[in-house]
Amino acid sequence: MDFKDLLKELKGNLLSLMGSKFDDLKDESKKDVQDFLKASKAKLERWTTLLAEGNITLDDYKWLVESQKDLVVLQGLYAAGVSKIKLGHLKNSILDTVINTAIGFVKEKEDGNNEANA
Amino acid sequence: MKTRFYAVYLGALTLLLVSSCGSLRAPVFDQYSYQKGTELKVDALNLMDKATMSYDSEKTAIDTFQAELDKMLEYQKNRENNTISYAMWKMIANPDKNFIGGFLERWKEKGTLIGPFITEAKGQVSDALDLILQYEGKKDPVAENKLKAILGIQ
Repeated sequence: MDFKDLLKELKGNLLSLMGSKFDDLKDESKKDVQDFLKASKAKLERWTTLLAEGNITLDDYKWLVESQKDLVVLQGLYAAGVSKIKLGHLKNSILDTVINTAIGFVKEKEDGNNEANA
Repeated sequence: MKTRFYAVYLGALTLLLVSSCGSLRAPVFDQYSYQKGTELKVDALNLMDKATMSYDSEKTAIDTFQAELDKMLEYQKNRENNTISYAMWKMIANPDKNFIGGFLERWKEKGTLIGPFITEAKGQVSDALDLILQYEGKKDPVAENKLKAILGIQ
């Protein structure tokens, strides 16, 4: 099995999982994807050597390659989850800003009323 | 009077903002998930080391591990805003996927497994569980607690 083709397939799967948004990903997420592909290449090379030397069977080899494909799906879930966490933090920051602004506004009004009554 | 009006206005605005962003609700870090996940990782890798021996001879240890994994799945299923972690744990446990669930299934089918395969499979299971643990670790309790404090629901 040509692991360049396999790597291409893994990359294709990963990108399709993330939609066409790879270019929009933050540098950190892009680095995650690239690190993952680099790690995949090293594993595929090692497994191919183990197979060629008869240390594992073809069945074992297929199982391991499939597990790497499953890991692609898991990596996709991880990336989606981290994006969601970041969006959640952004939402909380927006909420915080709105509330603090509104509280400041209410306080100003209150102070103004107190001064007028005095 | 005006102050009360602004307070009501502020409350309505907050409610609107929170409810409109419901789908963006961030998952919250959970100490139990992190701790139990770490234990399961260690147990899974130790159990995999035994796969050079017959499945039947290790049946008790396998059943004990499987029961702990099932409990974790059930726990993850019932956590709020936890779709992604639950999906990840389901993959780990699924006998049709090639992580610990699939490894145990393969062990059962073959009776015993060979050393080099076990070593490589352990790497895969370890990477998968590391992703779950890293994801749990990325969840931030500070932001959620701050939000709850602001809304007075802590």
